[in-house]
Amino acid sequence: MLRLHYNLERVSMGLVAAIIVAASIGGLVEIAPLFTIDETLEAPADLRPHTPLELAGREIYIREGCYACHSQMVRTLADEIDRYGPYSLAAESAYDHPMLWGSKRTGPDLARIGEKYSDAWHAAHLVNPRAVVPASIMPAYPWLAATPLETSSLSAQMATLARLGVPYSRERIANAAQDALAQARPDSAGATGVAERYGARVAVRPFGGDPTRLTEMDAVVAYLQSLGRLTTAAHDPH
Amino acid sequence: MIASLSMPERQSGLILAIGLAVLGLAMLGAAKEGPMAVHGAMAMVLGILLAFALAGALFEPDAPAGRTALYYDEPTRFGIAMTLVWALIGMSIGVWVAALLYWPEATPLWPATSFGRLRPVHTTGVIFGFGGNALIATSLHVLQRTSRARLADSVTPWFVLIGYNLFCAWAVTGYLMGSTQSKEYAEAEWYADLWLVVVWVAYFALYLRTLARRNEPHIYVANWYYLAFILVVAMLHIVNNIALPVSLAGSRSFTVWAGIQDAMVQWWYGHNAVAFFLTAGFLGMLYYFLPVRAERPIWSYRLSIVSFWGIVFFYIWVGSHHLHYTALPYWVQTLGMTFSVMLLVPSWASAGNAIATLNGAWHKVRDDATLRFMFVAAVFYGLSTFEGSFLAIRPVNSLSHYTDWTVGHVHSGTLGWVAMIIFGALYTLVPQLSGRRTMAWPKAIEWHFWLSVTGTLIYVVAMWNAGITQGLMWRTYGANGGLAYSFLESVMAMAPYYLLRTVGGALFLAGAAICALNVRATMLAAPAAAGATDRPLLPQAAE
Amino acid sequence: MSAEKHHDAEIDPVTGYETTGHDWNGIRELNTPFPRIVIWALALTFLYSVIAWVLLPAWPIGRDYTRGVLGLDQRQVAMQGFAALEKARDDWMAGFAAGDLDALAADPALMARAMPAARRLFADNCAACHGTRATGGPGFPDLTDADWLWGGSPAAIVETLRVGINSGHPDTRVSQMPAFGRDGLLPREVVQAVADYVLALPGGAAGQHHAGAQAFAENCVACHGETGSGGLGTGAPALAGGRWIYGGDRATVLATIHGGRQGVMPSWADRLSAAEINLLAVYVSRLGANGQRAEAP
Ligand code: HEC
Ligand code: HEC
Ligand code: HEC
Ligand code: HEM
Ligand code: HEM
Ligand SMILES: [Ca+2]
Ligand SMILES: [Ca+2]
Ligand SMILES: [Cu+2]
Repeated sequence: MLRLHYNLERVSMGLVAAIIVAASIGGLVEIAPLFTIDETLEAPADLRPHTPLELAGREIYIREGCYACHSQMVRTLADEIDRYGPYSLAAESAYDHPMLWGSKRTGPDLARIGEKYSDAWHAAHLVNPRAVVPASIMPAYPWLAATPLETSSLSAQMATLARLGVPYSRERIANAAQDALAQARPDSAGATGVAERYGARVAVRPFGGDPTRLTEMDAVVAYLQSLGRLTTAAHDPH
Repeated sequence: MIASLSMPERQSGLILAIGLAVLGLAMLGAAKEGPMAVHGAMAMVLGILLAFALAGALFEPDAPAGRTALYYDEPTRFGIAMTLVWALIGMSIGVWVAALLYWPEATPLWPATSFGRLRPVHTTGVIFGFGGNALIATSLHVLQRTSRARLADSVTPWFVLIGYNLFCAWAVTGYLMGSTQSKEYAEAEWYADLWLVVVWVAYFALYLRTLARRNEPHIYVANWYYLAFILVVAMLHIVNNIALPVSLAGSRSFTVWAGIQDAMVQWWYGHNAVAFFLTAGFLGMLYYFLPVRAERPIWSYRLSIVSFWGIVFFYIWVGSHHLHYTALPYWVQTLGMTFSVMLLVPSWASAGNAIATLNGAWHKVRDDATLRFMFVAAVFYGLSTFEGSFLAIRPVNSLSHYTDWTVGHVHSGTLGWVAMIIFGALYTLVPQLSGRRTMAWPKAIEWHFWLSVTGTLIYVVAMWNAGITQGLMWRTYGANGGLAYSFLESVMAMAPYYLLRTVGGALFLAGAAICALNVRATMLAAPAAAGATDRPLLPQAAE
Repeated sequence: MSAEKHHDAEIDPVTGYETTGHDWNGIRELNTPFPRIVIWALALTFLYSVIAWVLLPAWPIGRDYTRGVLGLDQRQVAMQGFAALEKARDDWMAGFAAGDLDALAADPALMARAMPAARRLFADNCAACHGTRATGGPGFPDLTDADWLWGGSPAAIVETLRVGINSGHPDTRVSQMPAFGRDGLLPREVVQAVADYVLALPGGAAGQHHAGAQAFAENCVACHGETGSGGLGTGAPALAGGRWIYGGDRATVLATIHGGRQGVMPSWADRLSAAEINLLAVYVSRLGANGQRAEAP
């Protein structure tokens, strides 16, 4: 063995090849089967992808780095189930490119936050967390309520995700901007289209609270209210 | 810097600079607005500035004759300067975000300054800016000395260093503008990722070409580690960052991986960024500068072999310890846990080999703060790998995961190990590069050392307490069988620890600032004595 | 190693070991033999791993993986743990699942066990809106005062928690303060007059002859009561007590009458068990009844 190594150290390409081999095995054994073992990802029949408005909210969640403080993964531990609700399923993030499970809980887990609080609370909390939770150390995001939501790129984003396997049909893609607006306008003509395209379980409400314009607040709140509610399977583990 | 280049080299440099300016212009033109346009403008300005400097130098005197008989250290000097610039940026932001968690109202109402955007600026700034520049700069030095060969050419090292720093600058300015892929330690967007691939390939090629010219039959251990660092980081970076841009004219992209596969790829990458960036590369540094400073032989060549291959082989398996109890299948978690435990052995073997190398030089450790930096680094390396293996055990992780214990572990590794070994290496290397026997202010090293050690201890102890308190509060049940604490109570309990951490970080930052000033003073000072520690170059190749 | 013995090999005076004979810019290496302890440590950690691999799910094979002789499934383990937790508190919790809440509340020993659990549930679920001390805040009612929109008995509160107010629950309690100004129900001067009337209510200055009195009698008493006393169980708050949900300054009252209000209280039926809801109802009802304040947080 030593002798072998003694010779290996003299050939740079030999070292390179050996390093590549040694450093590949683990990854291959652990990652490849995640695509082939069937039970890894049981997708429930009622799983839906995010609506355009929620997707826009997710982009803002990413942009602002909320994932730096909030996990979205209730682990299979009794106390977490007790505090947050049913443990997270693999399928719940099956359409998430990338997943937002997080690695730090400076704030609470958000996997089950959907419909836990009201839209108005979320809006007030995001504008200034300390207005509703005096001891909070979460930063304030007042600009969300002031910034109009940019919807023109949603179609292109959804088309990209569709190419990666997210079930966004042509129709969903074509109506993206319109659906984003309509989801926050329950009285508008487009509201029924949202329900038709994404299912009756989708919430159609003025999320951000300002009925005169569509803001980033509408998107973030719609996204937060969708967390844990893309499938009913999570709430019914057995 | 340009004076050291020959006319043909200046010409190739000019072409590259113009190429960079054109690339920048193309990005600017395609994107028109948003982060990609800003980044295009940055590249264009940089390209134009470089082009002007190089074009001007075409009419200046050629590089001194006989330069190829000398080692090429100008890129290393530049890399060291960038190391310290990024150290100050990254660590100041670290102190600032630490303060924000204690005092959130201090966040200015300007999106770019909020915690979530600054945090990746800190991590990228310190890991890639500070750590990466230190690795590249020292690797170029070590490579030449242990090969007794000059770098294979004089343009590539500049391409690598400038290109790498452009990547870092793109990354952190992108986060400030809200442009991020959100993958931890790989947040930079697709075009920056692609750019890094180009830079990295050039780096790898430079390394191999220089190794091929070496005059030592055997490749020294430090180079094994540097090679593993370069190769595996390339592999990880490419696989984890495969993404589909929404448009070639915009910054946004979606990673091709989704859900649990993405989680596994992400932490396969994330953990091994720790392993091959923050560990393997720095072990390379340790393996060179520690014996040089201690003037002692490496304690055991045979142990080096086992620890090297142990680290390369075992590390790759353990990423799933970041996903214990999650929706990731149990079997992967078991593999991650068990390999993490086995990984402790080669890790401690490396730390032990380093510490045993100091046998016969303990008096130097006592008297020489530079060597003490490296000794403490080896000790912290041992501590944080022990802690890591411990945290990787599922039941332990059920407590520690998501808490500040992880952050404590991270900084015992990064402050105690990574930063300290960098400081030790710099204090060894900078006088040599400046042709001096010592740093300009030798006493300041002692100050720096104690600031670093105190800062690290305060930081790490505070975070251990914070993390364990947090983890326990989340899972403690009262006598009545109900959860005892609300989440918010755990947030409130963190306040004193977050304050302490800020103080510890500020001390550490102060030390780093002293180091930067000291290095600057040393580099600017006139050579006091020729650093005759280097063996002369030999011209012919071995392989 | 003898075959590789380098001609430059020498003995290190400190350790007594031989060097390998290589020299890289002054760095040499000792040929110190492999320390035994490393081999032992490797063997030990490997043994640990093998045991874990045998017991637990571990190695992928084709389209399947080894299940481990313990046959553990992390989800099942978690649900068993959760069931055990529920069982551990069942001795007192069972009473809340189906019991006479008033009788339970009268048992001090039981309350001593139950209230800390309720306090935590309140802090993690309700305090975000109603405040860590349950005293409410702009838009969210105070639960410690004597004013109730839907009734302060445990039974009434249970129903409020179960279905929510203006929530998505099919049986939700519905309440709405109409937008008198925006929807053109009242002209602007009348809105202002009635606002002034409402503002004068707490001080007792809003008499029959107040300019807004008539408009109030015609438009508001149906929900808020003759004297603005509220408490009709329709979700409309008392206006005369000086305790406001949204605020008692003129601008806020005007905004309320002009734009209307429809506060949302989520339904907890899907999130909390019936016993937990009952427990919280008892906790909340006692906040007001005893005039006691919720502890922070
Ligand atoms: C500095 C860390 C930090 C960042 C960044 C952060 N949060 Fe928070 N978040 C907290 C803390 C701490 C709490 C708990 C206190 C509170 O409710 O405000 C919290 C609470 C919350 C809650 C309520 C959760 C519950 O169950 O009560 C939501 C929803 C939330 N955050 C959303 C967000 C969103 C969306 C973003 C990004 C736009 C974000 N947070 C960014 C720290 C953070
Ligand atoms: C999203 C914010 C929110 C949360 C969370 C919330 N509430 Fe409420 N709650 C409200 C609002 C708003 C009202 C008043 C609705 C209205 O204005 O008509 C209310 C009303 C009530 C009432 C009726 C008060 C009355 O006078 O009749 C009770 C009781 C109550 N909440 C208890 C709770 C409890 C217990 C919890 C936790 C399990 C809780 N609330 C969580 C927002 C919230
Ligand atoms: C259809 C029933 C209804 C009618 C009619 C009505 N209100 Fe209300 N009012 C409510 C409800 C329900 C609320 C509580 C809304 C909430 O909490 O979200 C409310 C709230 C208010 C508030 C806010 C109280 C606070 O604590 O902040 C004011 C002020 C008020 N009403 C005044 C009036 C006046 C003045 C009129 C007549 C012009 C009137 N209301 C007519 C149902 C009514
Ligand atoms: C001046 C000293 C430093 C201070 C005050 C500091 C502070 C911080 C803070 C406040 C965080 C965020 C923790 C959280 O989200 O709760 C953080 C994260 C991090 N820091 Fe530092 N830091 C310092 C130096 C460094 C250095 C030198 C490195 C690396 C070489 C480093 C690497 C990291 C990493 C990798 C993380 C992410 C940890 C995780 O996600 O778990 N830090 N730091
Ligand atoms: C034997 C060696 C090591 C092992 C087995 C190990 C293991 C671990 C574990 C189990 C975690 C926590 C994962 C979680 O719960 O989220 C972790 C996190 C981390 N470790 Fe280590 N560690 C080792 C060495 C190191 C060293 C030397 C460093 C730094 C130089 C380091 C840097 C980090 C970082 C940055 C994280 C945070 C990752 C995140 O963002 O969540 N580790 N490590
Ligand atoms: Ca992290
Ligand atoms: Ca990236
Ligand atoms: Cu790890």
